Amino acid sequence: MNDNAVRGAGLVGSIAYAAAIGWLYVTQPQTAAQVTGGLASIIGTYRIDAQAFRDGLQFFRNDQFVEARAAFARADPAERDATTQFYIAYAWYRQGWGRLYNDDALFAKGMVAADKAIAAAPNGRVIVEDPNLQMHSADELKAELHRGVTREADDFNPLRVFRARK
Amino acid sequence: MTAVREAVVLPALFLTVTLAAMIEPGARTVVSGASLFSLVLGVMLFAALIRCGALDPARLLHASRGMLANANGFAVVVTLFAASSQVLWMLSPRSGLPMFFVGVLLFVQLLNTLVSSPDRVRLLRSIAVTLGSALVLKFVVLGALSAPGGSRTARVLTALFDAATFGSITQAPQDPAGGYIAFGAVALYLAGIALLPGRSAVSPRTELVPR
Repeated sequence: MNDNAVRGAGLVGSIAYAAAIGWLYVTQPQTAAQVTGGLASIIGTYRIDAQAFRDGLQFFRNDQFVEARAAFARADPAERDATTQFYIAYAWYRQGWGRLYNDDALFAKGMVAADKAIAAAPNGRVIVEDPNLQMHSADELKAELHRGVTREADDFNPLRVFRARK
Repeated sequence: MTAVREAVVLPALFLTVTLAAMIEPGARTVVSGASLFSLVLGVMLFAALIRCGALDPARLLHASRGMLANANGFAVVVTLFAASSQVLWMLSPRSGLPMFFVGVLLFVQLLNTLVSSPDRVRLLRSIAVTLGSALVLKFVVLGALSAPGGSRTARVLTALFDAATFGSITQAPQDPAGGYIAFGAVALYLAGIALLPGRSAVSPRTELVPR
């Protein structure tokens, strides 16, 4: 192998390695699955586990939210799929929703998942056409979660007990 | 210096050191960048390497070299600076009096090295001792003081020590893996700077050469 080939390959390798370090710094992945999934999504080869997603959807529709999130997490281990993250956020919302009061901790986790869905979607637009849902976009869901954790005078309105879960 | 060493080995070594020094393992793993002060210390360390002949920039970047060779040399220079700053950041305590004193000690040590201009071998020894001491201080001494577990006696002593110093000594608990990663990063960094193309030794004496 001649010197120029070695030098060229070394330069390309160094730039790629430095870019990977920069990407790690920006995205702050927490698991190996997030690292590999993130790199796969950059080159467009990331796919969710369709069977696990269907399982998650089934659990979600039966109001088994903990099971649903486990299946969704298995379907999208890298947290790069907008639709799956949307359903995870929705699961946190439905589990945390209460007729008298909402569970702020669960709503906060829902907001984190909604942010991940928005970050994973092209142009940040997440639309899920599921007739079983009352909210179809991540923006609506995030706003509803945000309203849930915000203290306002309307929280003390006794008629709130008649409101319906979305 | 061979093309493989300049184009592949050195950048890969220094980028690996940079990456390892950025990782702070824990319940939530953080990939952290060097602070401004660490960048200043990195510049001083970089300057010391040049001044003491451990690195000869003309052997990496020079008009007589080809464009690709200069690009490789530039990659070595940039990655060396990044690794130097990041290693110093990794070895600096994160809060309180230890952060202040270690920062001052590293600054004074590097300033002293710059002024005294030791030869290449002495500089490498000096850097090894400085980085090794900082590693032991942060990951062994301060790590033991800040460890969450331990015996009841150890916890009482730590609480007393913390109270006596107004809580300015103890650090956030460190993951045990952090020390091993730091050890590996420092070892790789020292290997990397030992492999740098140095200035060829020139005898300061004047000798009569028979014709």
